[in-house]
Amino acid sequence: MKNGRICLVIVALLLASLSPAWAVKIEISAPGEQEIPLALTSFLPMGPVKPEIAREIDAVLEADLSLSGLFSLVDRRAFLSDAESLGLSSVQVDFAQWKLLGAEAVIKGGYRVEGDSLIIEARLFDVVARRMLTGRRYIGKLDEARRIAHTFADQVLLSLTGTKGPFSSRIAYISNRTGKKELYLMEVDGHAPVRLTSHRTIVLNPDFSPVGKELLFTSYKNGNPDLFRKEIYTGRESRLSHRKGLNIGGRYSPDGREIAVTLSKDKNSELYLLGTDGTIHKRLTNHWGIDVDPSWSPAGNEIAFVSDRRGNPHVYIVNLDSLEVRRLTFDGKYNATPAWSPDGKRIAFARLEDKRFDIYTIKPDGTDQRRLTFGPGNKEHPRWSPDGRFLVYSLDHDNEKSIYLMRADGTGTRRISAPGGDDSHPAWSGHW
Amino acid sequence: MLLLSVAIHFLLPAFYTGLLYLSPPKEKPPVYRVNLVNKPVKNPQAGRPEAAPKKQEAVKKAPPKPAPKPVVKPKPKPAPKPKPTPVEKPKPAPKPKPVVTKADEQSLAEKIDKMRRQKEREDRIAKLKEDLARERDKVVSPVVDAPVGEMTGKGDEEGVAFASYVKAYITEQWRYSPYLGNNLNFEAVWVLVYSAEGQLINKKVIAKSGNRAFDDSLLRAILKSQDLGRELGERTEFEVTFNLREMQN
Repeated sequence: MKNGRICLVIVALLLASLSPAWAVKIEISAPGEQEIPLALTSFLPMGPVKPEIAREIDAVLEADLSLSGLFSLVDRRAFLSDAESLGLSSVQVDFAQWKLLGAEAVIKGGYRVEGDSLIIEARLFDVVARRMLTGRRYIGKLDEARRIAHTFADQVLLSLTGTKGPFSSRIAYISNRTGKKELYLMEVDGHAPVRLTSHRTIVLNPDFSPVGKELLFTSYKNGNPDLFRKEIYTGRESRLSHRKGLNIGGRYSPDGREIAVTLSKDKNSELYLLGTDGTIHKRLTNHWGIDVDPSWSPAGNEIAFVSDRRGNPHVYIVNLDSLEVRRLTFDGKYNATPAWSPDGKRIAFARLEDKRFDIYTIKPDGTDQRRLTFGPGNKEHPRWSPDGRFLVYSLDHDNEKSIYLMRADGTGTRRISAPGGDDSHPAWSGHW
Repeated sequence: MLLLSVAIHFLLPAFYTGLLYLSPPKEKPPVYRVNLVNKPVKNPQAGRPEAAPKKQEAVKKAPPKPAPKPVVKPKPKPAPKPKPTPVEKPKPAPKPKPVVTKADEQSLAEKIDKMRRQKEREDRIAKLKEDLARERDKVVSPVVDAPVGEMTGKGDEEGVAFASYVKAYITEQWRYSPYLGNNLNFEAVWVLVYSAEGQLINKKVIAKSGNRAFDDSLLRAILKSQDLGRELGERTEFEVTFNLREMQN
């Protein structure tokens, strides 16, 4: 027995002496920096010089990519000679220069005007691996430099993260700039606001269709809060639900085939499912309390809504198959306007606490509640960007309502609607 | 010759069994800590105090430092001391030997003083030894099993410091934004082989995270870490695990 043990020890020692060098184990549990250093060069002319086009592209790309939170932009003043050369393929780029500046990625591009057309070439290069990550040629009208820049910003995010950015999408909102509450549409950075309705009354609660460029909203055009549908490009408008009482808070299902809405045709506010032709498919709630503000889960099998059935208004979730209702929030005096994130992992809502509404998010199982906004003013009506990276909401402060945007973790807040009007009830479109 | 051979063969089993049964004395065998994780310890002269059975050696080495201090400082002090007391007193009494006594007494006083200083020095060294031993016992590593020679460990030799250096270097090169992915649970493992000169000579993915953005960021970090800017002394293989644990709330 003992001899055997000795033999084993000898064999083990022999094996140990013969084995290759041991690997030193290291665990790195966080990156050194949480932003990618990006060099964003000015787009160069590939024909006649049009500095205003280059300026517009630069400004849009810089704003979009900064908002993403992914990048720290390398100071343009430090750029070396390579920033002055077009370099649209990786062999034409002097990566050593960009490496010297600490950049890990560089955006280069050029523009050319041909008649009424604008041609833009845009590239994203990986400085470390010395390769092109993505490159696109865009052809548009002369006044479409902004749109093209937003589209390339989306492409940059797609290339780096696998998920397209939301910068070329649109935001609908309600504004009283004409003296009446009307429906408006603007770009994600607040540019190019366009009025879509002229009802000269009160318009409320817009929501985008997931398929096609179409909006739902409630309007008092005919004296009653009726549900309307509007095609954005044709301007065609129709009344979808004009039942007696409230027809409010219409929300398209993720597949666009049904609409959840609050109706009070039977005196009390209840949730219903409508077909796209306005017919009632199903009654979802049946309670003496007021049930409003429906928001679909991305899977389409549950709807979050607000109810005062237990006293104060709180967020509840109803299962569309069993119609079972479960309570989601318990804190705060008033919880309102839930919005389910596109990945289904969180629900944003507004909560009244200390006489002020702020934006919170919570997991659908009721855990991990997080407050995202602070500071003065009421923040309400949160809605998610189509990629779930951002939230848009309205802020009522200093007697002015305006639209704000922030990252989903509450950072990077910025005002996007222009001053001088009461803007509220934002809704974010799908990818445009 | 034959007899000798027979005798040797006869004695061999006894010697063998004797060895076998004598060798395991009941006393506790010494325990040696072998840090396989941080294998390339170059000079493990001093390790974790509780692991290294060299307390006495370490203590012996320490004294030379404090020694010069007491020797240099007290020098000016003894000079004024003999002046006031012994110089005036002996003068009146021992008249018969005035010349001799002065020198003798001075040398005697010096000797006594020297002895006294020697004694003080020894006492001080002994006290320092005690303090040092006490301090060593007090030290508790904030990290369990922290490698010797690291900030978080207790050792004072440089052997494994380069592993920390490599870790810090690669970390510095790694850029990853939490906005790149939709969760922070990614983990990937790479094996990196560096030459003695600190140049990356081989790299290999052991386990990918499954998230392209995360894996790409690691590749970029590794490519940026091709030259460590420091010699390692020998070809070294690192198994590096990348994750985002510190970024999870």
